[in-house]
Amino acid sequence: MFEFSRYYGRRRVKGSAALTAGLAILTGLYIYLFPSISSSIDLDAYIQSMPPALRAAFGIQSLNSIEGFLAAELYAFGWVLLLGLYLAYAAASLVADDVEDGRMDMLLALPVSRSKILLEKFSSLLVPIAVANVVLPVFVYFGVVAIGETLSVADLVMVHLLSVPYLLTTAAIGLVASVLFDRTSLAQRAAMGTVFGLFLVDSVVTNTDFAVLGALSPTRYYDPAAVLVESQWDVTGAFLLLLAALALLLLSRTLFQRKDIA
Amino acid sequence: MSAITVSGLTKNYDGVLANDDVSFEVAEGEVFGYLGPNGAGKTTTIRTVMGFQSPTDGTATLLDADIHDEPAMVAAKERVGYLPANPGFDENATGQAILDLHASLKGDSRRAELLDLFDVPIARKIRGYSTGQKQKLGLVQAFMHDPDLVVMDEPTAGLDPLMQQRFNEFVRDEKRAGKTIFLSSHVLSEVRRICDRVGIIRNGRMVTVEGVEDLLHRSGKFVRLRVAAALSEREITVDGVHDLSVQAVDETYAETAIAAGSGQADSETVTELTFTYTGDFDSLIDFADDYHVLELDVEEAPLEQVFMQFYGEADEPVAAGGDA
Repeated sequence: MFEFSRYYGRRRVKGSAALTAGLAILTGLYIYLFPSISSSIDLDAYIQSMPPALRAAFGIQSLNSIEGFLAAELYAFGWVLLLGLYLAYAAASLVADDVEDGRMDMLLALPVSRSKILLEKFSSLLVPIAVANVVLPVFVYFGVVAIGETLSVADLVMVHLLSVPYLLTTAAIGLVASVLFDRTSLAQRAAMGTVFGLFLVDSVVTNTDFAVLGALSPTRYYDPAAVLVESQWDVTGAFLLLLAALALLLLSRTLFQRKDIA
Repeated sequence: MSAITVSGLTKNYDGVLANDDVSFEVAEGEVFGYLGPNGAGKTTTIRTVMGFQSPTDGTATLLDADIHDEPAMVAAKERVGYLPANPGFDENATGQAILDLHASLKGDSRRAELLDLFDVPIARKIRGYSTGQKQKLGLVQAFMHDPDLVVMDEPTAGLDPLMQQRFNEFVRDEKRAGKTIFLSSHVLSEVRRICDRVGIIRNGRMVTVEGVEDLLHRSGKFVRLRVAAALSEREITVDGVHDLSVQAVDETYAETAIAAGSGQADSETVTELTFTYTGDFDSLIDFADDYHVLELDVEEAPLEQVFMQFYGEADEPVAAGGDA
């Protein structure tokens, strides 16, 4: 059991460490800059002048508190967009890359079901998700303490915990693309385009008659600003995301089982 | 019992029939060569039999497992080894890591023995492997779990002649040990040394399935003979000469003679004969004995020639002479 998970998971450790280090540097920079920015400019007056759609897109509620600042700068950008797109991108190569480079035949010749190959390959993405979500909150917490601010530990834990279903969903979108397309570059573009497109839809339709369309986007169900600024934990949203991820996984499994490997 | 049965297999790729009603069986314990020119549909059959793609029509079994029955195929594959054409591996993994993964899923009772035989740099990353080294790593993984049946798509492509020799010996040993081997090739001379039977496919259709001895006897040799004499087609009186071509090439002989230092550089006519030969060699040597032979090349008949000769479009083999 889990032979592929172990094999592919191990191969992701280095990349995950690099990704996490990059995010940590970004985080460090934001936290380091926060005191000087918040003391020199009234950011809340500034964001009032932004278009509502833009504020909604990046979950900007308040930039004068460390919570609001981190939610807008780090989580809305680093987590929802960057990490979400990264996982869609990584998942998009899971199948298509092996098919394109002729490695899939080698896997399919092993005495294993297609379902096992697909699901265990997908599970290797838990490595970057876990590493980023375990290391970063610790880093954020001590960073915030270091500049003399405080932050609710429970909210910090929740903002990371609730991001897991979101990230699994964007990864599952990538997996569907990976099974549908035989060329990696095509699968990657389709996956990232879908995730980014849905993010845009959710942002643009806010406060319009089409707001209901935003319900299609995974970003609707994970709101770091609400968690950090208002301590509102959208557990229902997280469950919906888990269900969506599961449905997409099952869809890609069915597609893969029926697929003619080119 | 058959190790592989293929019945009425048809695969249609957007209007192109890669396999058209292909049927044959591979018996347990035999070495079966699946032969055909590039693009004839060999890989399509092999990949369908392995369950990587589904046929448009017809079906196949692999160690009695129906290719449409995934659980049965998974169970069967524990006893099957597979080597694809141009085996692909993770470029960033070492050979060792790949073999470890395969071992964890199917076993590796023969890994050490095979690594001794095929000499793969397993500590190195695949990125640094040559084509031949990848091929050898593919061979190790195909045999390391001691399977009953091994399916190989162009196994000797990328192997140097020495390694090819070693591979041939290895396959013969495996057959003696009771293994069934199904391999494809586009080179007749490559499979003749190891196969019991061959199936020939051309343009997606099975042309024949027969014993390798029968096929070789019929396919003959490709012979090129240059003699210092003016010969016409009528004078070639050896049995078993087909597709004869006779050409006079006088100026070339003059050069050859000077180079050989014979001093006798008269421009005597030279004739170049090319033909496919299915007779016995004694008669050919006897025939050539009457002339000054400048060059004699005997090669395995190219596969395409075999096709043209025996299955070609209306081209009847031209038998010369007959009253030798």
